Amino acid sequence: MLGFVLRRLARAALTMLIVVAIAFAVLRLSADPATVILGPDAPPAAIAAFRHAWGLDRPLWMQFGFYIAALLDGDFGRSMINGATVLPLVLNRVPTTLSIMLPALLLAIGIGVPAGMFAALRRNTFADRAVMIAAVAGFTVPSFVLGLVLVLVFAVELGWLPSGGNDHWYSAILPIVTLGTGAGAVLARFTRSAMVEVLGQPYILTASAKGLLWRVVIRRHALPNAAIPLVTMIGFMVGGLLAGAVVTESVFSWPGLGRLMVTSVGSRDLAVVQCILLLVSLMMVASNLTVDLVYGLIDPRLRHGERGRL
Amino acid sequence: MSLLVLDQVHYAYPARHTLLGGRSKIRAVAGVSLALERGRTLGLVGESGCGKSTTGRLALGLIAPDAGCVAFGGEAMPAPGTAAWRALRARVQLVFQDPLGALDRRLAIGRQIAEPMVIHHLGTSDERTRRVAELLRAVGLSADLEARYPHQLSGGQRQRAVIARALATRPDLLVCDEPVSALDVSIQAQVVNLLADLQEEFGLTILFISHDLRLVRLVAHEVAVMYLGQIVEQGEPTAMFAAPAHPYSQALLAAVPNPQRRGPRALLAGEPPDPAARPTGCAFHPRCPIAVARCRGEAPALRPRADGRLVACHLADVDAASC
Amino acid sequence: MPKPPSPDPTLAAAPALIELVGLRVAFDRTPALHGIDLSVRRGEALGMVGESGSGKSVTWLAALGLLPRRARVGGSVRLDGQELIGAASDALAAIRGRRIGLIFQDPVSALNPVHRVGAQIGEAVSRHRGLNGAAARAEARRLLDQVGLPDSSRRLDAYPHELSGGQNQRVMIAMALAGEPDLLIADEPTTALDTTIQAQILDLLDRLRRETGMALVLISHDLSVVGEVCERIVVMYAGRIVEDAPTAELLEAAAHPYTKGLLAAVPPLEGPRRRLAAIPGNVAQAGDLPPGCAFAPRCGDAVEACAAQVPRFQEVAPLHRAACWRLADAAP
Repeated sequence: MLGFVLRRLARAALTMLIVVAIAFAVLRLSADPATVILGPDAPPAAIAAFRHAWGLDRPLWMQFGFYIAALLDGDFGRSMINGATVLPLVLNRVPTTLSIMLPALLLAIGIGVPAGMFAALRRNTFADRAVMIAAVAGFTVPSFVLGLVLVLVFAVELGWLPSGGNDHWYSAILPIVTLGTGAGAVLARFTRSAMVEVLGQPYILTASAKGLLWRVVIRRHALPNAAIPLVTMIGFMVGGLLAGAVVTESVFSWPGLGRLMVTSVGSRDLAVVQCILLLVSLMMVASNLTVDLVYGLIDPRLRHGERGRL
Repeated sequence: MSLLVLDQVHYAYPARHTLLGGRSKIRAVAGVSLALERGRTLGLVGESGCGKSTTGRLALGLIAPDAGCVAFGGEAMPAPGTAAWRALRARVQLVFQDPLGALDRRLAIGRQIAEPMVIHHLGTSDERTRRVAELLRAVGLSADLEARYPHQLSGGQRQRAVIARALATRPDLLVCDEPVSALDVSIQAQVVNLLADLQEEFGLTILFISHDLRLVRLVAHEVAVMYLGQIVEQGEPTAMFAAPAHPYSQALLAAVPNPQRRGPRALLAGEPPDPAARPTGCAFHPRCPIAVARCRGEAPALRPRADGRLVACHLADVDAASC
Repeated sequence: MPKPPSPDPTLAAAPALIELVGLRVAFDRTPALHGIDLSVRRGEALGMVGESGSGKSVTWLAALGLLPRRARVGGSVRLDGQELIGAASDALAAIRGRRIGLIFQDPVSALNPVHRVGAQIGEAVSRHRGLNGAAARAEARRLLDQVGLPDSSRRLDAYPHELSGGQNQRVMIAMALAGEPDLLIADEPTTALDTTIQAQILDLLDRLRRETGMALVLISHDLSVVGEVCERIVVMYAGRIVEDAPTAELLEAAAHPYTKGLLAAVPPLEGPRRRLAAIPGNVAQAGDLPPGCAFAPRCGDAVEACAAQVPRFQEVAPLHRAACWRLADAAP
């Protein structure tokens, strides 16, 4: 077990390194931060000085080397815009993003999974189709459209909720709904198909043939097996929600990681972008690792290998 | 000269490691020697884990043995993936258990039967069309089925189509791995009769792998019983099934359902063995009703009896009449 | 195993445990079962033989209300007088496992992969015998012993994928016995198993039947399997019963051409090697049945009358009936 975890951590570190390396190269090759930050009218001397001060005139591989060396020392660099140290700047934003991401995840699970189960148990009836159509609508509508519509209705027309910012606790409601809807819709469809697949398995027939009441069959035999693919899906959802957070935070001016990412990429504030990328990949890796471990807990076949015979 | 010779072949599957990192090789075939004569059928019987399917794949050259050699038509079987190996595919063909899986759902039957000819560049387009019609006739399918898709045919018809495809390149050797197990009983008889007819008409050599002893007795000129990767008995089917020499063959025959049986039957105790955990000495000794101390320590070799039967049992030679 | 005895004639008068009358099943308007009349007596061992599409499994799934919602079931199934068709789902759940047990083909996939086998047997024990906790576990262990699974305490904590096919089938049988049913329906229980294990399981089923006095319905495509264990055999084709006779009688003097064809299609283990007499044509499929006798297109003895009307049962001998028009000519 220990070997398994260590192997996964090693792979995770490699993944993060590759992500940062690619971003590193793309950011530096696509535009000159100096020009972007100082403005295109800045005198060439100022630009050259800026580039030299931030080490941008060195070869790419050398810059990367210095960056990694600094990382290992705990130094994540400084913002090119205001000189602040990057790590605290980024970490400051994490709770803000989590405060809409986690509730959105819970919302997605809390509505999507029961809806999917409901549809599966009543498959091919009107109720099933109605739920599925709602789900399709839920994930085809782009989140920024949904967000803007919600703002229009609840903030502008009805005035119940603020249109942006995070001044009050209820400012989070609209961003959470926007973020959670798409994820919940996908989860509903996925749950339905996982459940339908499980319900078609021979062991469900066996459980019924044993004389168990239908609700017991669903609870004890169908749900645990349907949970297995669901757990994977939820693991992926973390990545999807992080991506969705970028858009949602922009629509609602929510001062989280997403907003910071957008502004930093736009201004080529390299260290900030790289740090956020590292953090995001760490979160993804952590969620995948958790999924794998949970998998092992709920599916005994994975714990023992294919055929650990007695 | 035999068409196909396997000489002391061994094959082990690399085992999957569990989460905890346990690793072991699974010896699927542990020293098998076979010779197939032209125009004859060799039956290979055994239960799960005995290695008969792996032996079939070794015979075809789909996998290369870890030790020992396979010779086809007097020459060594080329390594999988080489050009010589690919050319040899025209001479050896495989028919296996699931006809729906063996056919491409998206292509019409006629195209699939013609495909081997296309791959090996045999004949012109007209000649191929004629040959497809010929093959359909030979396997007892009506010509209009040529345009149908696999899901539109019955199980028996699909298997016939698979056989037609296998014959397209006029192969010398046909390996049939449980060719009728997935078919209804009344259809099994049809397909088995068909294989026998085709053998006579085209001089096919057939390796017939099956768990069904009754079928094998009917189609095979010679039969070999396998247990845990080795041949334990080999001989002429009728004589062998009337008086099997090896205790495993005896148990296998006793297990065949027979409503006319008189008296109780001797049941073989225990489970089919796990190839990953081979017993020492004779692989069958843990379940053998007549095992002695020698069986645990020393693996018996496959030796011929006076009447030509091959048996791998320390006790078989002692008194052939008592078995 | 001694040859199955011919059924005691006095038993024929005994009341049936379960009676199927005119049982019909249709899926999306395609009829799969065309009016089955069958009865099983207490303690009887009945074999049901047929190929794909014969309806042999559908019969019992319909009787127990286990078919999917879209199936339309008609007719009557009476268990000791209680009507099962159309019964409330809770009433059916009370019957399943407790009065009628059911085991299936491919035991590995018929058991839940994420629960230990002890828990799965224990669940049946709790449901039908009201035992819980340690008492349920002890009973599960006793059942595993009864079905001949060695080292039962350890096996209780195993998962299905850790056991072999034969061991899993024993677990399924133990689970089915938990409710002490009056009737056990075994649907192709040995088809997915190795030959030597098949023999063990059939032997086990026979022994359990004699020990507990329960009735057994053994469903198989293999006449020999059924012939070894059962006293009476019913042959089905395309959703109808075509022949019904005591085992010895059926094997020696089968009346229906399909039964005769099935018998001829099995290669004998002894005697001279001869070409199999195969039944020509394809097995009739549910949606595509000809008018009249479904077997007529493949039958060597068919005459005009066969294609005109579905055959009615003819009494060939006491307790032996077959649905064939040609037999009407020869009837006494």
